[in-house]
Amino acid sequence: MRNRVREQRLQREISQAELAAALGVSRQTVISIESGRYLPSLPLAFRIARFFDLTVDKMFDPEDEEAGA
Amino acid sequence: MMRFIRPRLRKPLLGGIALLGIAGAWAIGAGQSRWLAIVIAIVAVGQTVAWYLTAGEDTDESALLGSRADERQKQVGQHARALAGAVAMAAAYVGLLITLAVKRADAWSFAVMLAVTGFAYLTGLSTYGSGEPNPGDEANAGYQARSPVGR
Repeated sequence: MRNRVREQRLQREISQAELAAALGVSRQTVISIESGRYLPSLPLAFRIARFFDLTVDKMFDPEDEEAGA
Repeated sequence: MMRFIRPRLRKPLLGGIALLGIAGAWAIGAGQSRWLAIVIAIVAVGQTVAWYLTAGEDTDESALLGSRADERQKQVGQHARALAGAVAMAAAYVGLLITLAVKRADAWSFAVMLAVTGFAYLTGLSTYGSGEPNPGDEANAGYQARSPVGR
């Protein structure tokens, strides 16, 4: 599943540590989400989307996974 | 009681107490090598301090040790514990096979370990699973009545 976390974070010039603090997770978790190694829980996905003023489906794109299936 | 202890100190303290328990048991059971209990107790204190210092670092392992893990780190911890449980069960099974073949009198300890880990697995299924069939709602019941599987 692709996501736009890194893209949105860089657009807003926020560091991974700052984003992690705002979301209440560790910096390592932000890195894992950005690299696609970890799929966040639904509550965390909503927190991320709200932080960037986007909807969850704009933030996370499942098309990659469907194409691979 | 754990609520009164700083989160960062909880697991290091538990680890230290566990090791002190071994030191105490050694002191009770050992004959002339009772001095080793003192060495284990010193190691326990050293381990507590080392774990406390490690718990302050910025890694997944430190977050788990410092009781401040987020959802992903908790998942990492759960996977690690599941692996430890599976390995303990496999080791108990292998130990049981070997002792049954070589020294049958010692087999009971491995049998107990195998039974305990197996029972813990079943308890986990019952605790973390639904435990009973989900009754569903009325619409679901209607769907089940129309289901070709039920005919």
